[in-house]
Amino acid sequence: MAATKAARRFNPVRARIALIGLFIIGSWIAMGYRLVQVQVVQATELADQGLSQRLVSRDLPPQRGKIYDRNGELLALTVEAQSLYAVPSQIEEPLWVAQQVGGLLDVDPDLLYERLTSTKDFVYLKRQLDPDEADEILSLGIRGINPLPEPKRIYPAGVVASHVTGFVDVDGNGQEGLEYIYDDELRGVPGSAVFERDRQGRPIPQGTNDIIPAVPGVDLNTTIDLPLQYNAQEACVAAVERTNAESCWVVVLHVETGEVLAMTGAPVFDPQTRQTSNPKCDNAEDEASCRAFSNFVVRGIYEPGSTQKLITFAAAIEEGEVGVGTVIPDVTDVLELREDACRSADDDTYGCYRDFEEHETADMTVSEIFTRSSNVGSILVAEKLGQDRIIEYITAFGLGGETGVDYSAEAPGLLNFEAGCETCWASAALGYSVAVTPLQMAAAYAAIGNDGIWTTPHIVGTKTDINGNTEVAGIATHRVVSEGTALLMRQLLARVVEEGTGQAAQVQGYLVGGKTGTANKLEDGRYTEVTRASFVGLAPVEDPKIVVAVLIDAPDSDHRTGGQAAAPVFAEVMTQALHRLGVAPDAADRVGNE
Amino acid sequence: MTARPLRKAGQEERLRVLKGRKSRRPALAPWMSMVLIAVIAFLGLGFARTSLDKSAFELATLDKAIAEQIALNQQLNLEIARLENPARIAPLAEELGLVIPENTRQLLVDLVPGGPSVARVDDDGNTQ
Repeated sequence: MAATKAARRFNPVRARIALIGLFIIGSWIAMGYRLVQVQVVQATELADQGLSQRLVSRDLPPQRGKIYDRNGELLALTVEAQSLYAVPSQIEEPLWVAQQVGGLLDVDPDLLYERLTSTKDFVYLKRQLDPDEADEILSLGIRGINPLPEPKRIYPAGVVASHVTGFVDVDGNGQEGLEYIYDDELRGVPGSAVFERDRQGRPIPQGTNDIIPAVPGVDLNTTIDLPLQYNAQEACVAAVERTNAESCWVVVLHVETGEVLAMTGAPVFDPQTRQTSNPKCDNAEDEASCRAFSNFVVRGIYEPGSTQKLITFAAAIEEGEVGVGTVIPDVTDVLELREDACRSADDDTYGCYRDFEEHETADMTVSEIFTRSSNVGSILVAEKLGQDRIIEYITAFGLGGETGVDYSAEAPGLLNFEAGCETCWASAALGYSVAVTPLQMAAAYAAIGNDGIWTTPHIVGTKTDINGNTEVAGIATHRVVSEGTALLMRQLLARVVEEGTGQAAQVQGYLVGGKTGTANKLEDGRYTEVTRASFVGLAPVEDPKIVVAVLIDAPDSDHRTGGQAAAPVFAEVMTQALHRLGVAPDAADRVGNE
Repeated sequence: MTARPLRKAGQEERLRVLKGRKSRRPALAPWMSMVLIAVIAFLGLGFARTSLDKSAFELATLDKAIAEQIALNQQLNLEIARLENPARIAPLAEELGLVIPENTRQLLVDLVPGGPSVARVDDDGNTQ
């Protein structure tokens, strides 16, 4: 009986069932515990951890604005390039890598080796490569070398438009020219992106997706005509070679609007390498300085010489002191404004003024004085104005101050009228004691072409943003002389080209007016025989559309005058400019109705 | 255990019909319908969600493709600009024997009165 009861109390089958049941229940309790722990207790912490793994924050760089010429041709744009960088700690054979990669990238292997063995975590091998060049390196499969997309500024027109666009540095910051002066507008506004991504880097659609798009920079539509710019540059390059000069500079302005149609010079400047291509720099003492960017049109100041006489004569005519036909008696070929100023024929002490050519003392009309560019005659005309009015008109014509052109680091020029200077007024009347830029002279002549109204020169015509909104450049104008005076001056300028010192500036089919300038360069306080030869002119004379200013710096002795060195360049550039703008000839043969 | 008491012979259980009550069968159809609808809705929601995510991934792929095309377009614009550079074209023209015309003669032609004039079409369609 007791055994039966005991047997009834312990049933192995039931025991096993109970054990399994306990195990199952225990498992469920454990899972439940873990579930609560993960989903409740650690929920916030784990969610944050997961989010931090998925969340990516990136800056969105804005696309830099493009620069166009007046016809829509691209002068500057930004493309995506590949920079290559290395993680030195991952490079297994730095010497071999430096030799292999250095040869392909055209980088000094020693320099590369130094970088690859440095303690830094990140070193550039070369920046802003073309995709093909980068792929060639990456195809070697060298561990530790990786690509990095970077924007790269490209100038499709190359050296042709470099004096207009300027250039940027390797990080895309404007350094010179339009790239600098409009840098804030060109660079745009960076954006940002915060989003969740999966293991493959793809954005998770239902996750956090907070994007502030970048705002691209404004596009600049310049007033430059690229083919004319090219022609002007080629003319300058040829002039430097022909005259053995140090440099040549040309600016072309639209008379009525002040638009800069071309602005260039030689030696040429490469905006990609950021260096001037000048063979003479190879032997220069300071090669870096020799190859540095320069734009003499806007920044270079020089004594304009006889081209300044336009202002002197315009002032005298406007003030009613003389007329075109007024006879100035006893015009000699040498004039002393200080006693014994002209001690010898070779002595150029201040206060001594000579004509370019010796001649007999004679009565000359104002027209003859201007046409023959007589210094003595010009002083006699200027004497009737007096210093104050000379300064007034020089200033009104925009000299001695910035024109306001939209370009970096414009030079204001100089007016040298120090107190007690007895002869400064006379020097200024001849284009000495005054330092100007070629752009200032061009703008002054454009005022004569524009019936006496001076207009601010400008390079950018309009700016266009991402929404297509266009902003037109504002310009300032003011009257400097009357229409009548302007017309008379144009006629005088035409005589200079027709029968005076500027005959080499004639353009077939058009009546051209202009003035030559030959100014001796000042060195160590004394004037030398080396000159700056210039020619500034306009066409067509009756209704001018274009002004061209040419400056040749230090031509050789066979081409030292404006008529010899600069006038031929003017003729070539003006011809192209008139054709490009479709200006009808005003001196062509006429057929029909005879 | 307690044994059930035996019934006496002749004692039968009396069954009687309760009046006014009808037999009922449980109503399964509405419940089945609701369950079916719930299942379909659940599956549909899952499908929609999956489709949405799939579309989003496709959109991301398309965005990437668009960016690549934009970059390609830029490269092509750059190539066009380089090809149109006058500094490239002028030497090629010179190589091919093209020259800038020199010594050209420009003539301005005055129209002779009663001579050639601009053609026009009248209302009847005849050219005058």
